[in-house]
This record gives sequence, structure tokens and C-alpha cells, in this order.
Amino acid sequence: MSGVRLEVLWSPVHPDKFVTWGTDINLFEVKPIKDAPQSSFKISETTVAHRLASNSSSPYVKCVDIYPHHEADVLLALGQINGKVVLTTFGPTVFDCLGLAGKELVPRHGRQCNTVAWNPSESNLIAAGLEKHRTDHSVLLWDLQRCPHSNGHSSHHAPSSMEPTRPSAELGLSETAHSLAWLRGQPRCLMVGLNNKHLKLFDFRDPGRAVSSTPTKAVYGLAVDPQADHRLASFVENQIYVWDTRNFEKPVLFLSQNKPVSKVSWCPTRNNLLGTLQRDSTCIGLYDIQPTMVGNDEVEPSFLERAVLPGVTGVVGGVQASAAGAITSFSWHPTHENRLININLSGNLTDYTVFERITLNWSPSNHIVWTHGWRTLKTVCDKDPIYSTIDNEAMLIKKRALSGYGLSTNLEENGDLAESKDLKRLWRWLQLSATLVEEGLVPNNNTGHPGVRSVLKKPEGSQPTGSETSNAHGPWAEINACHISARVYRSEEREHALQLCGWSLDRDQFLGQLESAGYYSRAAAIAVFNLRLPQAVNILRKGAEHPRTTSPANLNIVAVALSGFSDDKTSMWRQQCIASKQYLTDPYLRVMFAFLTAESESYEEVLEENEVTVEDRVAFACCFLSDVKLSEYLRNLTAKLTDEGDLGGILLTGTTLECIPLLQRFLDRTGDIQSISFIAARAFPPHLLKEDSVQEWISNYRNLLDSWKLWTQRAHFDIALSARTESDKPPQQVFVSCNFCAKSVSAFMQGRGRGLFARVPNKSKVCKITSCPNCRKPLPRCSICLLNMGSASGAYSVKAGSTTNRTIEPGSNSDKLAEFANWFTWCQSCRHGGHASHIMHWFSEHLECPVTACACRCMSLDFAAKVISVPVV
Amino acid sequence: MFEAKSINAEHKDLIHDVAYDYYGQRMATCSSDQSVKVWDQDEQKNWILSANWKAHSGSVWKVTWAHPEFGQVLATCSFDRTAAIWEEIIGETPPQGERGLKTWIRRTNLVDSRTSVTDVKFGPKSLGLQLATCSTDGVIRIYEAPDVMNLSQWTLQHEIQCKQQCSCLTWSHSFSRLHPPMIAVGSDDNNPANGSKVAIYEYSGIRWTKTESLASIGINEPVHDIAFAPNLGRSYHLLAIATKDVRIVTLGSPPEGSSQRFDVQLTAQQEDNLSGTVWRVSWNILGTILASSGDDGCVRLWKANYMNSWKCIAVLRGDGTQAKSDTSTSSMPTMGQIAAPNQSSTTRYYKLGTITNPNQVPKY
Repeated sequence: MSGVRLEVLWSPVHPDKFVTWGTDINLFEVKPIKDAPQSSFKISETTVAHRLASNSSSPYVKCVDIYPHHEADVLLALGQINGKVVLTTFGPTVFDCLGLAGKELVPRHGRQCNTVAWNPSESNLIAAGLEKHRTDHSVLLWDLQRCPHSNGHSSHHAPSSMEPTRPSAELGLSETAHSLAWLRGQPRCLMVGLNNKHLKLFDFRDPGRAVSSTPTKAVYGLAVDPQADHRLASFVENQIYVWDTRNFEKPVLFLSQNKPVSKVSWCPTRNNLLGTLQRDSTCIGLYDIQPTMVGNDEVEPSFLERAVLPGVTGVVGGVQASAAGAITSFSWHPTHENRLININLSGNLTDYTVFERITLNWSPSNHIVWTHGWRTLKTVCDKDPIYSTIDNEAMLIKKRALSGYGLSTNLEENGDLAESKDLKRLWRWLQLSATLVEEGLVPNNNTGHPGVRSVLKKPEGSQPTGSETSNAHGPWAEINACHISARVYRSEEREHALQLCGWSLDRDQFLGQLESAGYYSRAAAIAVFNLRLPQAVNILRKGAEHPRTTSPANLNIVAVALSGFSDDKTSMWRQQCIASKQYLTDPYLRVMFAFLTAESESYEEVLEENEVTVEDRVAFACCFLSDVKLSEYLRNLTAKLTDEGDLGGILLTGTTLECIPLLQRFLDRTGDIQSISFIAARAFPPHLLKEDSVQEWISNYRNLLDSWKLWTQRAHFDIALSARTESDKPPQQVFVSCNFCAKSVSAFMQGRGRGLFARVPNKSKVCKITSCPNCRKPLPRCSICLLNMGSASGAYSVKAGSTTNRTIEPGSNSDKLAEFANWFTWCQSCRHGGHASHIMHWFSEHLECPVTACACRCMSLDFAAKVISVPVV
Repeated sequence: MFEAKSINAEHKDLIHDVAYDYYGQRMATCSSDQSVKVWDQDEQKNWILSANWKAHSGSVWKVTWAHPEFGQVLATCSFDRTAAIWEEIIGETPPQGERGLKTWIRRTNLVDSRTSVTDVKFGPKSLGLQLATCSTDGVIRIYEAPDVMNLSQWTLQHEIQCKQQCSCLTWSHSFSRLHPPMIAVGSDDNNPANGSKVAIYEYSGIRWTKTESLASIGINEPVHDIAFAPNLGRSYHLLAIATKDVRIVTLGSPPEGSSQRFDVQLTAQQEDNLSGTVWRVSWNILGTILASSGDDGCVRLWKANYMNSWKCIAVLRGDGTQAKSDTSTSSMPTMGQIAAPNQSSTTRYYKLGTITNPNQVPKY
């Protein structure tokens, strides 16, 4: 081995101390980072190590073990190259007076000491494993009981050891001991790896022969599982073996590694976790081994493999295994869960806690749960403030569902409940188009919400005659006595399209609305597009004077610039406008000048300005593009908006087949199933609702509401949906039929007027329905009051009596409750029942059915009954 | 400072799985201590232990709830080579007012596997009551209860041989009649030479056939968990894969005329390796956010922006001991650049502490 190998070991009894050794031995103390003393160094995010002492007096240390008995100070047993085992301390300690410190345990023949181990329970015993010597034993057991120590383990007297310098027991004549380990449960038992050949278990009560043994080459690094004495691990070169002493003939598990193994160690705080280290490696391998039955050959042992990289956190990639970073040793903390310390070639120490595998789940009701360690579950729910920063979409959808989003009769009001501007605009447009269709201003085209493209489409076959697009040269309103004109296209269809875009017939009124809403630049641009230059200037002026305008100066200057309009292709005004319009931040002002400076009717700058709403761009196109260009522009724009999933595209497609891909794209992009489902439910014509993808949206949204227990909201959604398709009325779900004639009781009742059956007869019309209306046989009896069903339950009479003096309007809450009290109700499994109020009362105090000798636990059978709908807030 | 609520699970060994029911009101946990526990949420949103029983004679790997329309039904799978169906029955419970543990009885034991059963999942309810299991010998088994009222009869409908040991499976959640039933299965086989560790199987009405192996994505490291996102009307499937990092795969419809079954796109891959091996992934109900847990003891949450690029939006630390100390959030250099192609990170950190609120600890 080149150089000195650095080793590290937690003290088995001091939770905050560990030693490292290489050339000299150091004792460290671990402290939380907040009370870090000087000259300490960081070994993890939260802890520092502080060197307490150093011992360089023993230069030939081969192996070290720490005295495992609770003492304030640390006593070390050092196995040296010459075979001596030296007990040493850091400075003066309590061990000095006991004569332990400095004691040397010398074998008869000097040779390298391979391993040394204190007995963990009888701490006066030290076992040392040595190299082979022809005439000497290789495993020596030293007993320190002669030396008086404070708590006096003195019951044991080994007859052979008269002096402390003589071993109390010897094993393995002319053999090599590579490694050894004490069993915790059987304090006199020692597992030894011998001669590259055997693992042997010795009992010092009878040291003459091995208790059990197995032939194997894996004799190095023996480690006994502190949790289970019968399980141990050893290695040779790049093979790790796991053994069960109860079935010692063959290994339980064989783990092949890429590189030679340098250490294996069982985690003392966790079942079945083996830490392994390979030479020149930056990671510690962890094997979570599933215990198998002894002797059950059928079951393949199973393990989960992990690798942790302590000390390289922060290094992206983490696998930059430089030679200096290679871990040379590690040690599990004896008591802290899954904590270990490791040391690398350059002597850097890292304090590391292996995290248990975390399992997690995310519930439909917005809880996140994960495991921490193996005892604790952690939960975050939507009540926690943190949740809104994680998942506001689900919260938003839930909130909107609770506030009745999508259900408002006025479509535009639904937009008020949506936060997004796009959704607000869409709902406003749906309302607008519905109104326009209703008023007959725009043809319906079978959709209810026709799109611009469908209204522009001329009726098939009919040659354009009357509704031909007329192109008039709109005169520029008297400015500077210019006589130029822009080509404006007009037709009935175009006028419809403009209205769909929101440019209502009465432009003055429309512009006025925009002004009062504060959209001065938009109003000005639209005025310009309508060739009303002076009005545009006026609008801008007004905007500049308005106290709430953010940059009045800006609008003022624009107004000035606008009023200097000149159509001269070479005028200074024009050049300046072209040059400076790009500096305008307001997109409407930009398109206004782009339009005024446009050459030869190429309006790309206006049409492609994405910051201007789709409505205004389409309206502009309808005014200034020829039929061919217009249809091409609209086609391209539709494709583009569909591709982007931009809801503005609905203006073009209307609620036709074409809008489904667009909405699907929007859904793919945002996951807002709610808006999509409601748009479908509220605006789609019946034939579109039958589309597969639409059906899927709807069923997904209904399922979402169901799992949130928003059943009321789901029912409202269903109602909204069925309002679109009036023809298919859902069938009745449940009938009550007479026991004798099997005719439906309730169906029969319906002919006589609704509600009569369940209601207590009014004073005028006494109509007792306690028998089958068809065959006149009595209805079954209530199992509580033993009256025939159809009679009044007592609860109702009392209530009715007490309320007769007061006037209760029909449909009020108390009225409804009284009605319900008289209803038939019965258990689905035992078919016993009675008046609802009686049954409810019974089960509030009982578990079993009220019928004699029926042991049915009716009420607790139905779990769903306990799942309560989320109340409407 | 935010702290997560803590529940003392009182399992005697590592918890392998936590499952919520359809409404998120009940929770089941399973552990290496061979037991399963059921927790119910009371009105104050506290989780109360309502049942605890030894379910298997080996580590219980996974637990899952059936749709409530089939009753209160759980399925578990275990290292003891079996999967089991459990139903809650109304046993000799004391009268109301007193707390009593609910009784769960084993309706059936599915013993077809010769090796450890690593995952169990109920199929979508539109298929009736179906159950898929997978095992380390690389077999997926589809069981069906022909009579949903009789949970003790299950027939083994299909056995699908995968080439590699299976570690996890997931059903697609699509409701559409257009999409056939689909299962994705992951393997934790260690040998990269054995090829892709994810396979997708679809049911043609007659048999299950492998229709995609995600070979183009090249997932050759062991896969520990796999999860289809709730479909929610999307035109494509989203599949989250927990391997040495988090990956999200989109399965869209293929372009016209393509012979492929899906248009497979690797939508996101965690670029850093800060979390180490990723153990579990789980979607929120909308399928818009993914939670993942990694070796570093943190839970990460991933979300796509409008450009469909996924980034880490939060890191939740699950370590109570760390949260007690006063390290400021800035002293955590371990989380630097977080994933998401072309996206600079805006990761926030939250410390989650242990609170020992006696209200959260059920006494029994």
C-alpha cells in the first residue's frame, strides 16, 4: 500500500467524538456549526470538527479500536506492526491511575498485528489478530481484569493468565488471522477470518475448537451486524459475501464489485443496511438487504443497491473522482440514525447522513405526503401557505368551481371570475357573438357563435352580385386639404365580421366607449383606421388631459405628430414617422403610424403586430384587404393561433369543428380543463358536443370535480350541459314498486300531481296514500313507527303543527326538511326501511338495523355516505 | 418559516409506499415491518390511524386503493411473492362515539408469482375491476374480478413476459375510448447492456402487446418509479420516470404516415445530479406538477412553463434535524443550477421541521 492510509472511527460511547489515524492519531470533537470553536473546520452543512488532541507517539499503528465502556475520556487499543497492542490515551486521563494507559500487550513472537477489537460487552477483553508465526498463535485474547477499574468487572478469572502481559486465551497455531469480530449477543464468541481459507466462530468458554466454520477466501474485513448477530459480511478483493451463521455453509448473498473492496460495515441504527467502500472510489455503496428465511432455497435473496457520494455535494455531476477525493475509510455513528463520517486521501472529513429512500404521494385533495426516516410522515396541504406557491393552478380551478365559474347566464360575467385576460376576452366575445346572433345582426351559420371566417364565406354557388365587395376610396377627412385616399373594402359580410370583432355599427359610440374606458391609443388607432384623422387627434388630446393617463406628454406629442400628417411620399413628416415609430412603446400608436406611412397598400406591419388584439387586426384586415388577400391572411392567422393555442383565435373559427384543435392546444399548454369544458358546455352547438375529444374534456372535468367532492358543482355543470341538448332527458333512476302488483308506485303517483304522495295531505284535500294506488294493497310499514308508508312521520306532524301559525313560503328550508322526513328509505342490503326521519334518528344511536333479528349494519355499509361534499361558500 | 406537519407513522421499519384513496381522505402506508396501516382524516384534517394489520410475511412494497365504487378495497404486494386484495368490513366495532379500529380482511391472495412482487396497481375503473402486478422475474400479470361484488374471485387474465426484472408499473389514466388501455413498466435491472428499462404495453382487446420501448430516449439505468400523469383531456400522454435523474417523456400521436405507435419526445431531463438517484415520482391531480424524491433527502417539485420547459419550482427538505439548526437558506450551496433546458433556475428553498404536535400523534 502506497503512503499511509487514513482511517476514521466514531467512538462507540461518545456521540460527538471520533478518531482518525494514519501517521499519527487525532481525536476530534463534533459540534454544531453555530458554536464552532476557533480552529475548527466544517465537515457538513451543520457541523464542524474540532481537534481535541493528537498522539504521534505510536508511529507503527496498524489498527485501532476504542474502549467501548462509558468513560469521559477515550482509551485506544493500538495494534502495531511489531505485534504489540498498546493502550493509549490523549493526555492525562482517568485511565492513568488505573494503570491502563501505556500498557503494552506483547505477543511472544513479534509480527504484524492485523486487527484488534475490544469486546463490546465485557470490556476487559481485547482480541488481537496477528500474522502467521510457525510456533505461535495468531489470535490472542488479552484480559485486563487484573487492572482495577472503576466499575470492577472482576468476576472472570482466566486460569492461564497470571500476568496481564500473558494472553488469557490463544487460538490458531501457525495460522494467519486477517480479521476478527465479536458477536454482541454472545459476548464470548469471536468470529475470525483465517489463512485466506476459513471463517471460524470461536467460543472462549471452549476455545479448543471452532463452533462453526465455513471455507471461503473472503476472510477480510469481517463485520457482524449489530442488529442481528447471525448476519455478517466479509470480503476478498472485489467480492463481498454476506453470511448467516445459522446456515453457514454458503453465503446468503454475493455482491460483486468493480474494484477491490476496502471496507464493509453494517449500519448500527438500521436493519439490514450494509455500507461498503471500494478502493479509489468517491462513493460509499449501500446495500439494503432483504432478510430471507433460513434454509429457504427457493427465495432468491434480494437487495437494493445505492451509492452515496458524501463530500461531493455541490459538484455538478458528482463523479469527478480525482485521486485526492477518494474515500479511504468511513465509520457509522453508533447511535445517530444513518449518520456516518468518512475521510478521503487528502485527509478531508465529511459528516454525512444517509437519507432513507423517500416515498411520496400527491393526493387529489392537494396533500403531499412523504416519508422522513422510517418513522415519520410529513404532509403539506393546500391550507398551508406554501402550497399556493407550488400549485396555484389546482387551487385556482377549485376556487373558480366553488364560485360558480362558467354557470352565469350572462356569458361575459364568467370572465369576471377568471383571472386570465385571454379568458376574460373570450367570454366577452362569446357574449357579444351570442347577442349579435340573437339580434339578427349576424347570420347564425348553425353554430350560435359564428366566427369571422364563416361569416365572410359567401354562400356556396351564389355568384356574388348584391353583396359584392365594393371598394370605395374613402376620402381622408379634411386634413391639410390632402386629396389622397385609401382603398376601403365594404360588403355586408365584412360588416358582419367587423361587428364580431367588436367594431359596432355606430363608430362614434364605439370610440366613445373606448375613450371612457381609458383606451385612448386604441381608440385613436381605430379612428385612424376608420379614416377619421381629426377625431383621432381629438381622442389623443383628451387622453393627454386625462389625469390617469400615465404619460400624457407622450400622447400629446403623438397628437401633434398626427395632425401634421402628410401624404407626400417624400415628405419629412413621413420619413420621421418611419424612423421614430419603432420607439413607441404603445403597440396601437405604432400600428397607427405604420398604417399612415404604409406604401402601396402593404399593411404587414399592422397585420403582424402581435401586441394588437386579434379582434382589431382582423377588423383592420376586413377594411383594407382585398378578398383574396383577406382570406389568405385569415387562413394563416387561424393556423398560427391554433398552433399557439391562443384563445383569440376563436374569433376566427367560431364554435365550429375548427376551434376544437385550438382549444385542445390551449388545454395542452395550460391544463385548464375547466375553462375548456365550460366553453364547450355553454357555447358549443349540440353536434360539436358529441365529438370525441370534447366528450373526453367533459368526462375528465367531471371526474376532477368528483374527486374533489364538488358534487354540487358537478351537478350544476351537468345541468348546464344538458341545457344544450334538450332532447335527451335522463331516464328515471329508481322506482318504488308495489310488493303485490309490481307496478311502480311513484310512476302511478305522477299522474296525480307531483309531491302529493310524499306530502301530508292538506286540510282541504285528504288524500292518504298508504296503499298501492293500483291494487289497493297496503304499502310496507315503517320499521320504527309500524305505520304503513305514506303516512306522516311523527316528526313532521310536530313540525307542521309548530309552523302552521307562521307562514312558511313553499320551498323554504323547513318545508323541504319536513317533506324529506316522510320519504321512503331503505337499506340497500337488508331491504328494511321506513320513514327517513325515523331511520336517521335510529341510526344516530344504533349500528344495527331496527328490524328484529336483522343484524345488518346498514348505516356503516356505505362508506361514500361519510364522504361529505364540499360546501358551497 | 414554514414547517410541514408531521405524523408519527409508528412503523417498525422503512415505509415503502404511501397511497391516497380517490378522494384523498384516506391514506394507506406499508412497510418492511410487513404491516399495512390505514389512516383516516378527521374534520380537523388530522390523520388518525384507523387500522393496522400484518399483511404479509415479507416487506410490503406497494399499496394501492381501488376506486370507491368498488368499495373500500386495497391491494398490496410483497417480497413474500404474493399480492393480496383487502376489503374493509364492518366488524365488531364498538358503538359510535368510541374509537375502534376498522377491520380489513384478506379477500384473496394472488400467488402466481415465483418471485417478489414489486408493484401492484388497479386499472382505470372504465375497465371494470382490474389489477396489474409485476415481479422481479419480469412478468406482468393482469387480474380481473369478473364479479365486482365478489372480491374473493380473481382470474389471471394475462401474463406478459418482459425481458427484465420489473420494479414498477403505471396505468395510463386516459378516459378516452380512443386510447386503448396502456401500461408502462420500469425495470431496475443493473446491466445497461440489457437495453431500455421502460416498456409500454397496450391492450388490443385480445392481448397485451409491447408497443414502445422508449429506445430513442435511451433509459439504460435502473428505473425505480414510473408514473403517467392524469390525462385531463390532453392530446398526449405524460410519463414521469425516476431513474438516476427525473425524466418526463411525452407520448404524442405520431405524424401522418409514420409506422411508429407514438411520437416519443423526451420533454425534460434533470440536468444536474444533485438529488442523486431518484426514488419516487408523483403527479398532482392536474398533471401539471411533478414531485420527485431523491437520495439527498429532498422532495423536488417540477413544473412546466408555457414553453413546455420543465424547471424545479421548489425544494422541500424532509430533514427535521437540519431544520432545527439555524442555517440560513443561503448556506445551502448544494442546490445550484437546477435542471430544465434553457431555463435559469428560480428555485426556492423551504425548511421543513419536525413538530411534535400531540394532536397529530394518534394514541391507541
